[in-house]
Amino acid sequence: MDTATLVALVLVGGMVLLIALGVPIAVAMGLPSAVATMVLLGWDGAALTSAQRLFSGSNSFALLAIPFFVLAGGLMNAGGLARRLIDFALVVAGRLPASLAQTTVVANTLFGAVSGASVASAAAVGSVLAPRMKEEGYDPAFSAAVNAAASPTGMLIPPSNTFIIYSLVSGTSVAALFMAGIGPGLLWSGICVLMVALYARKRPELRATERPTLRQGLLVLWRAVPALFMMVVVVGGILVGAFTATESAVIAVVYALVAGFATRTLKVGALPGVILEAAKTTAIVMLLIGVSGILAWVMSFARIPTLVSDAMLGLTDNKVLVLLMIMVVLLIAGTVMDPTPAILIFTPIFLPIVTGLGVSPIHFGAMMVFNMCLGNISPPVGNNLFVAARVAGVKVEPVIGRLMPMFYALTASLFIVTFVPELSMWLPEQLGLINAP
Amino acid sequence: GGEGAEASGGSGSGSEGGEGRALRLALNQTEQHPSYLALDSFGQRLSEATDDRWSIEVFANETLGAQAEALQLVSSGAVDMAIVSGTQLENLDEDFVVFNLPTVFDSVEQQMSVVNDPDVVGDLYSSLESSENITVVGGFTQGTRSVYTTDGPVETPEDLAGKKMRVQESDLHLSMMEAMGGSPTPLAFGEVYTALQSGVIDGAENNEVSYFTQKHHEVAPFYSRTNHLVGLDYLIINTGVLSEMSEEDRAAFDEEWTAAHEEHTQLWTEATEQAIADAEAAGATFSEVDTDAFNAVLEPLVDEFLTTDSQRALYDAARGN
Amino acid sequence: MEAIRARVDKVLAAVSIGLFVVLLVVVCWQVLSRQVLQTPAAWTEETARYLFVILALLSASLVFSERGHIAVEILMARFPVRVQKVVAVLVELLVIFFALYVLVLGGYRVAENSWNQGLSAIPVSVGQMYLVLPLAGVLITFYSLCHLRGLLRGTTGPVPEGDVVAADV
Ligand code: NA
Ligand code: NA
Repeated sequence: MDTATLVALVLVGGMVLLIALGVPIAVAMGLPSAVATMVLLGWDGAALTSAQRLFSGSNSFALLAIPFFVLAGGLMNAGGLARRLIDFALVVAGRLPASLAQTTVVANTLFGAVSGASVASAAAVGSVLAPRMKEEGYDPAFSAAVNAAASPTGMLIPPSNTFIIYSLVSGTSVAALFMAGIGPGLLWSGICVLMVALYARKRPELRATERPTLRQGLLVLWRAVPALFMMVVVVGGILVGAFTATESAVIAVVYALVAGFATRTLKVGALPGVILEAAKTTAIVMLLIGVSGILAWVMSFARIPTLVSDAMLGLTDNKVLVLLMIMVVLLIAGTVMDPTPAILIFTPIFLPIVTGLGVSPIHFGAMMVFNMCLGNISPPVGNNLFVAARVAGVKVEPVIGRLMPMFYALTASLFIVTFVPELSMWLPEQLGLINAP
Repeated sequence: GGEGAEASGGSGSGSEGGEGRALRLALNQTEQHPSYLALDSFGQRLSEATDDRWSIEVFANETLGAQAEALQLVSSGAVDMAIVSGTQLENLDEDFVVFNLPTVFDSVEQQMSVVNDPDVVGDLYSSLESSENITVVGGFTQGTRSVYTTDGPVETPEDLAGKKMRVQESDLHLSMMEAMGGSPTPLAFGEVYTALQSGVIDGAENNEVSYFTQKHHEVAPFYSRTNHLVGLDYLIINTGVLSEMSEEDRAAFDEEWTAAHEEHTQLWTEATEQAIADAEAAGATFSEVDTDAFNAVLEPLVDEFLTTDSQRALYDAARGN
Repeated sequence: MEAIRARVDKVLAAVSIGLFVVLLVVVCWQVLSRQVLQTPAAWTEETARYLFVILALLSASLVFSERGHIAVEILMARFPVRVQKVVAVLVELLVIFFALYVLVLGGYRVAENSWNQGLSAIPVSVGQMYLVLPLAGVLITFYSLCHLRGLLRGTTGPVPEGDVVAADV
């Protein structure tokens, strides 16, 4: 057996076995990677190299955006800004049939535009709206399903920590990726709105909530302005180039602090807890990124991406078929894997293949993150699905049944994202963020 | 066959008797860059000259680590060779700062004759052997660097007054830009285009090739030939690996290296000429500056950074004094 | 041992919060010095990057205390409790091996290897920064030993009560 095959076997076999045993994924990725390095470099060399890759894998200024976006989101939830966004969504969607379900979608979209993550959005929106939906006669499993389906948009609509991680492994511009996520993000929300509308036609009793007066509407808008303006600051700042993505994340933190204190919704005593939670959340992701540094290194060293690429292109070099294969592999991986490890593992393998076929790495990032969003709601392991069920106070199984039509529609739209590059590329191209032709 | 040997090797696994040894080389550039092309043909010629006893496998695009980490991996023996910048070696041994200073080289030709002249650099290149297990093989030019700006050509240091100029993140580059009259702004390389476009910075400094390939000419069309620096990369190799070579193979290695850096300089010159022609065709202008005025502000800076006798001696040797 | 662990938890939590605040201040200063004061600082980016790696590794160690790192438990949850217990012990042993081999041994080796390699903008060597690796390795080993003790005594359940929200990015 040649060394590359042995390394590949150690990596795949080791990771599958350790993950199945319930070893923390960071260790389940890191340990086989270190052992594979041992095959190549011996005991001492592998220890040194693994430690160095783990450290330098997370030593990046771009990644610094992650803790700050996480903290900004935590501050918004701890203060009342999150609640005000939901109130605003109620006014926006209040006149539609099945208005509370539509509000759930709109609120998740707005949340997505101010926070870098998505599970927090499902938790915040669901805990406010799910009880009200139950009161108005919605099936709790359905309301959890809508919340689960709508919540991943936060990973697509900027800011997005998922795109930051992809940017790191692909060497692409965060600003360009952020802009590329807007189209697919809105498509995602649009599909959710459409599916809820179809559902509402079958349930005419789920009418709109009472119409707010103009005065009430303006008041809610006014109270939501601090949260809404945060999108302008963060995304606008990156767009005009006033600051980098990392700096914009810090601005978001400062903004959330100032807005929280100014609106008297945030208490100083809550800060240490919020900061510690953000530190831990970030640390979990950073450890994954660090160990994936070992994995990526040993794969490159043994030329595994080249082997996979040769094997895949040996089957076909038709761009459409290759993209289909990759998307299916990622969909399957997404059923059990979290977005961060999936992006870290698969990007170095697949990106060279698709760029060789003329796909833009920015566009591939958009389809990859869209795919990861599907993974976050697909059973058996889907973070957004679990949280949405939990905050609605229902079991996961009935939610899955309600979710599946929406999941299928969203999966179908993955193929729009994959085969209509303009959806992702138009905006960054118009803004001059993509230098290459 | 040579196929099986490719995947084996590395210092820990030992070499299979009679089979060739593939040296793994970490490179931070793409596979189209002159450095990759020259190193790749270096490897092919080395393999021919040593009857496949030695070959080189270039890992492009930082896949084995960025320069600072590649340096550590060469030192530990996990990776055999790497291309690292002068700044990286300066972080290990301050004598290397000399070749990173402004005014030390006037041109690529002079730079290449100095950094590949054993009489000048012999001691410097072996200075890391005992402490770091690293031997410096020689240098690849990274071209002459000049300033470029968004709003009009620069002739004298006064023209840079108040302008925010992107520099690399190091004391030397900050001090240098300050001396040249500009307001130094450290910024990640990837951010420069957007920063120029949006007016966050007013200019930057780089060689003609990066100026064009990064499309900075689109947003900062005035390239003024301050020639303040000639960039330099080094090829480093693990000292233990080098000592494994027979005398005959080592001679072949040195000979092919000479051919490699000559080929690199040739490729670099062609790339530079092409970049200038393409940038001009796209509307950029290349203008001369008052060289004496810039030298006058840069020379005191050089004195400031030459703190030891050995640094001074290297500087004088490089200047032909 | 549990008393020591509670103290270590507290110290790590305080250090994490402190480092996070410092990190925030440093990056704020970077923006401020460039955008407002027009005198960009050279040391901020490098300082922020290394602070962040240190923060991440120490906080990640703390998460091991809660067994809060993402893991896939659906398979194990289907096995009998006796099997779960054996596997849980095995998991902790694997974590200890990883921590000792990669973080402690590897961290020590790489720190030694780059002890003289200076950073560009701050007067610290790369090797000194790497010392956080063995420190994190020791902390993680300590926490795993605590869990092992709990598992063997029956005071710690085989399946951690994880919180998916914590994994959200
Ligand atoms: Na978002
Ligand atoms: Na899933």
